Amino acid sequence: MILRTRFTKVGYLKYLSHLDMVRLFTRTFSKAGIPIKFSEGYNPHPKFSIGNPLPLGTESLAEYMDVELAYWMDPETFIERMNKSLPQGIQLIESKMVEKRASLTSMISWSHYEIRFMSDKLDEEDDFEEALSKWNSLSQVNITKKRKKGKKKVERQLDIKPLIGNITYKGKDNEDFHVLSALLKSGESGNLKPIELMEAMERELDLKVDLDMVMIKRLDVFTDEDGEIKELA
Amino acid sequence: MKVEKPSRYIGMEQNMVPKNPDEVDVRFAFSFPDVYEVGMSHLGMHILYNLINKEPRYSCERVFAPWVDMEDQMRKESIPLFAIESKDEVRSFDFLGFTLQYEMSYTNILNILDLAGIPIHSSDREEDFPLVIAGGPCAYNPEPLWEFIDLFVIGEGEEVTLELIKIYDRHKKKGYNKRKFLEEVQATMEGIYVPSLYDVSYNDDGTIKDRFPLISGLPETIEKRMIRDLDGMFSPETMIVPYMETVHDRISMELFRGCTHGCRFCQAGMIYRPIREKSVDRLLELAEKLVDSTGYENISLSSLSSCDYSQLHLLISSLMDRFEDRKVGVSLPSLRLDSVSIDILKEIEKVRKTGLTFAPEAGSQRLRDVINKGVDEEDLVNAVSYAFREGWSRIKLYFMIGLPTETDEDVMGIKELAYLVKDLFFNRPPEERKGNFSVTASASCFVPKPFTPFQWHGQDTIEEFHSKIDLVKGSIKDKKVTFNYHDPRVSYMEAIVARGDRRVSKVLYRAWEKGCRFDGWSEHFKYETWLEAMKELGIDGSFYANRNRDFSENLPWDFINPGPSKKYLQTEYTKAIKGETTRDCRLGCTGCGIKDCAMWGVFN
Repeated sequence: MILRTRFTKVGYLKYLSHLDMVRLFTRTFSKAGIPIKFSEGYNPHPKFSIGNPLPLGTESLAEYMDVELAYWMDPETFIERMNKSLPQGIQLIESKMVEKRASLTSMISWSHYEIRFMSDKLDEEDDFEEALSKWNSLSQVNITKKRKKGKKKVERQLDIKPLIGNITYKGKDNEDFHVLSALLKSGESGNLKPIELMEAMERELDLKVDLDMVMIKRLDVFTDEDGEIKELA
Repeated sequence: MKVEKPSRYIGMEQNMVPKNPDEVDVRFAFSFPDVYEVGMSHLGMHILYNLINKEPRYSCERVFAPWVDMEDQMRKESIPLFAIESKDEVRSFDFLGFTLQYEMSYTNILNILDLAGIPIHSSDREEDFPLVIAGGPCAYNPEPLWEFIDLFVIGEGEEVTLELIKIYDRHKKKGYNKRKFLEEVQATMEGIYVPSLYDVSYNDDGTIKDRFPLISGLPETIEKRMIRDLDGMFSPETMIVPYMETVHDRISMELFRGCTHGCRFCQAGMIYRPIREKSVDRLLELAEKLVDSTGYENISLSSLSSCDYSQLHLLISSLMDRFEDRKVGVSLPSLRLDSVSIDILKEIEKVRKTGLTFAPEAGSQRLRDVINKGVDEEDLVNAVSYAFREGWSRIKLYFMIGLPTETDEDVMGIKELAYLVKDLFFNRPPEERKGNFSVTASASCFVPKPFTPFQWHGQDTIEEFHSKIDLVKGSIKDKKVTFNYHDPRVSYMEAIVARGDRRVSKVLYRAWEKGCRFDGWSEHFKYETWLEAMKELGIDGSFYANRNRDFSENLPWDFINPGPSKKYLQTEYTKAIKGETTRDCRLGCTGCGIKDCAMWGVFN
């Protein structure tokens, strides 16, 4: 029995690492008396997996985990008990039973982000629309991806254009941040971090963005079924 | 990210106590002067945190040393140090209390004050800054910090901390004057030391001539605080559960305080006397509450020598019965070779089987007698053989080098014991060898500590340490045997500070100014800088570290009474040099001089 569960990660808790999250949930299952299934062996650990971990410092309204139960507990009770023990910034918002077909990680292929930033160059809304159309006219934008391969550091060039679903400008919010909405590839079949997008835009368009002050929040994740972007089932 | 591990700074953990600053009368900032994951592993912090916060009108928040990357950012952006709970500036608190667990954290204390925008010297702080206090084991020699700390708490903190806050609260309500407050508590409370109310004079040879109160009516001797009834004392029923992995990531339960073995190198074994236990019923009640409130999977039974607990079998089997189906394990942090019991190991291994650590402390029987470590080779053979039979395969052995009277022969005993352990494994029939065998012998460089029989002993020089280390290192030529050792330079600095007097405070300040901090972390320890600081001040490190003291000398910490008498320590030192042992005092009093010690009804 698997409960596919959506949860938030907001406020200061955006600074928790993936490992911190695993530890937090492990303890919370025990504290909340969730009948979670344990693995066999010397060091039994609870069976659950978090899909598509966020980069440190990114907020989210759409984190997902699959929780495997040893015996039935209805999703409402599950959510209620867990939320009592979880901190305010991490709360379960939806949970339903699913047949185990594919792992979350393999299913999640698109993420929808809200990106907020400050710019010394853009002021009027039109300024950004103009920049955006210039961006859209570029047929290819390469970034350098760094990866550690064993002890060696490997660099490779990657065209990020195919990793972008769409980008729209939402205007300024009440804290005077520019707000972008972006649908970006996410997961095993290609992954673009919002900050990488912003770095590339800064390089190409010279928007004078303060890259230390970019606030990112994941709003939703989607799966890709034969080229069609769909809600996670 | 500009700083690594940002969850060090965010707080909001399970069981954190958030209080509205407007609804409390006294705000206490408790600081462990090291990085978050080290400080959060300290049981004392969890005790005092919950003790203060259970008072509705007082609040306690946490402060740790920001890691160097965070410090850089804070200095660059002019962000003052804040407490974790409210994120309010540390300088707006009433108290800033440091726990002194090891000397090499002292420069972090200066750095924390500086980052908080609080003047580092006590004399520069008026009423508008927090009262800076300190306690913990290193406070038994408070003098090296005398210029920086307003008030030291000597001994166990559970009672004295609240008493202190209450008196402060009373002063605050009628107009707090720092000097008046300090004079009142020094004159009326036990276990308090206000260094600015005393002065010291020196002899021509640099030793202490005299120390005296600056005003009348102050005690000449400071008595330590000690709690008699551990069941009745406050014990935490909850602990903050960090998000990030910490050094001791589990429930920690104290079984008892004090120790009866009388190992002559051990400061804790002397200053925490007499032994006092919690009852099994009380411990089970606490365990239940701690597991419920934290969700931790492991309970560590921590005390100086946990195997000595008089009801250990009953306690462990009760804990296992109660928590086995909840997958909660029990662990003992230290096993004494002489009390490793087959039953205890069997009980514990039911849930988890990890490597085993033993501490023979010295390589030869002669030297183990000198330090009064009451174990022999047979104990080690029995314990290790049993462990191998039951499936353990990784053994760690802890030693010290530089112990009084030590010869090369004693030092080589380290190698011999490690090889003995290896032979015990491989002499077993192949079909009975389980797992991947390894033995690690770790040696630390002995640092003589105040209030131990070795407080008069001159530490080995760095060169002597190195030649002893090389001797062992060169003799081990086996892939299954690993030899680790501590940096003698760190132990030298630690020895200077541990037995330092008031003049050492200048060294700490100068070293901090020159950039020393996190000296306990090998990647940040700057030996050359420490040497420069001492040279500039004309202070001879060997005077503090390597000099043998005479019994007649006035030691910088003599004005504190930790329980055991100076005469007892002298007798023990004399016996040590002769290689004579002293029995475990539960077998009969050994006359250490603790006032009305009746073992508090623990035994028989």
